[in-house]
Amino acid sequence: MSELGRRRAAFAALGAALPLALLLASAAGTVWLPLGDLLGSIAAAAGLRHASPLTAAGETILWTVRLPRVLLAALVGGGLAVVGATLQSVFRNPMADAGLLGVGSGAAMGAVLAVRLGWAADVFLALPLSAFAGAMAAALAVYALGQAGGRGSVYGLLLTGLAVSALASAGTSVLLVATEEFRVKTVLFWLAGGLEGRGWTHLQSGGLLVLAGVAMLGLLARPLDLLSLGEEEAGALGLPVHATRLGLLGLAALVAGAATSVAGSVPFVGLMAPHALRRLVGPLGRHLLPASFLAGALLVVLADVASRTVSPSMDLPLGALTAFVGAPYFLLALRGSEGRA
Amino acid sequence: MSAPLLEARGLAVSRGRRPVLQAVDLTLRAGEALAVVGPNGAGKSTLVRALGGLLPPSAGEVLVLGRALADWSGDALGRALALVASEDQGPDALAVEDRVRLGRYPHRGPFRSWTREDGEAVSRALAQAGIEHLRRRALGTLSAGERQLAALARGLAQEPRILLLDEPAAHLDIGHQLRLFRVLDDVRAAGVGVLAVAHDLPRAAAWATRMVLVAGGRVAAQGGPDEVLAGEACASAFQVKVRGHRLADVPHPLYWFEEEPR
Repeated sequence: MSELGRRRAAFAALGAALPLALLLASAAGTVWLPLGDLLGSIAAAAGLRHASPLTAAGETILWTVRLPRVLLAALVGGGLAVVGATLQSVFRNPMADAGLLGVGSGAAMGAVLAVRLGWAADVFLALPLSAFAGAMAAALAVYALGQAGGRGSVYGLLLTGLAVSALASAGTSVLLVATEEFRVKTVLFWLAGGLEGRGWTHLQSGGLLVLAGVAMLGLLARPLDLLSLGEEEAGALGLPVHATRLGLLGLAALVAGAATSVAGSVPFVGLMAPHALRRLVGPLGRHLLPASFLAGALLVVLADVASRTVSPSMDLPLGALTAFVGAPYFLLALRGSEGRA
Repeated sequence: MSAPLLEARGLAVSRGRRPVLQAVDLTLRAGEALAVVGPNGAGKSTLVRALGGLLPPSAGEVLVLGRALADWSGDALGRALALVASEDQGPDALAVEDRVRLGRYPHRGPFRSWTREDGEAVSRALAQAGIEHLRRRALGTLSAGERQLAALARGLAQEPRILLLDEPAAHLDIGHQLRLFRVLDDVRAAGVGVLAVAHDLPRAAAWATRMVLVAGGRVAAQGGPDEVLAGEACASAFQVKVRGHRLADVPHPLYWFEEEPR
């Protein structure tokens, strides 16, 4: 298949699969909502028909439990995938990811700190903003330390990311021990990742921030392409390299922080989606970013359905599910990239 | 004589605390082919990067089209001057044509849409570099020489008045080398000033209209290529003995080098 054909096929497949997955995820759960009735209820809400075919209980389940959760899963997955694609270009490494660069751990630590101090319950947007602050602090630390002593090499940056990540995780552990018992469950939730009990308010806080950050990253697709050519060539083409990198890292931290504030840590999505798609749609930002968004959304929506339905008695942690898929993928990809920089 | 496109006056550059270049004076005029030669570590690559605005001078100045480098905005500079380094670091999955299209960034910025003019510049650049047939190939599938030509095409797509190259022939076989220098001749015939760092002295001498010898961070000699190669400065910089022979039916002298340790 030609390159153009491959790209079109990938977009068509993702564009068809995501609405189907959203529909399926809204229907599936402890109570199955028949697809026809579900569509009818949505049509009624849109003013296309008089009454919803769902029962009152079904209406509640769909509109207050399932829909916001499913949409949030899509935004979290899409956002994390776009962050992964961005970091991969900024650090010029196809294996870069929010998790590997400490951005995810930083966000988790920010979120846990907000819970520990009780801000999360009291202050509007305190949680996503703390997560963002944590993510940004980690990103800046990685960037600054990786730059110290001259030009930052990719490996230096990744190793710095590991160190910062370990530091943030250690901080999180200390916070965990120091947290009152009634808050421990909330804290654990961030470490495992999940969308249990998320509703419209979360969509309005974290979800909107994710969307805004993703939109701005999309506008910077061209500078991102230049950065992937290397610092020198990007500079020779007139790009203010350091300012652009910092801006992109800031936006990536914003999105990662917002996603983490509502869903906890959901690892490997940011690595898998862009890594798998790069070969199909090419490495240019204007193709890779939207394709990654769709694939990440699909991945997390499906993982969330699995987390709700695999075990009848409890929700499995979402982050554990993506790690079960993502870790083997990471190892396979690492083998595939052996010997190449 | 026309005003110089590019001029360095008393240029000094440091990397970290280490001074790499000192008191470099140099000019490049329209249509000129200037070869920069010198031993390893002499500061040639640093010179090219400083001339291209990637490294700030610690003393002296660089004038591009008569204006100091510091007064140029990044994208305006990218339209006036293109720099092509010897190592292409583009992502393996990137297609040759998309790589060359990025050379239009100084004309487009982050938001302006693609125009017919952009398309024509890219097609011309691909044709000039002789890599139209590689248009849709991914960089990772190319030979080192082909990648080098793709990087050159990116520089040509910028449609610059000044073209700076750091060892453009480094990975090229002899056929590709000859083609590369022919392309550079075509480019400067159109009025572009071309400066290239070169390691292959005879090839540089055959191509260049003028040669600058850099040694120990200073300009050790400059002038006609054969004059520079035959000079004492060249022999001492490379610690070799240089012998040139003219043959009746070859347009350039043939050179023979012998080691001469001191």
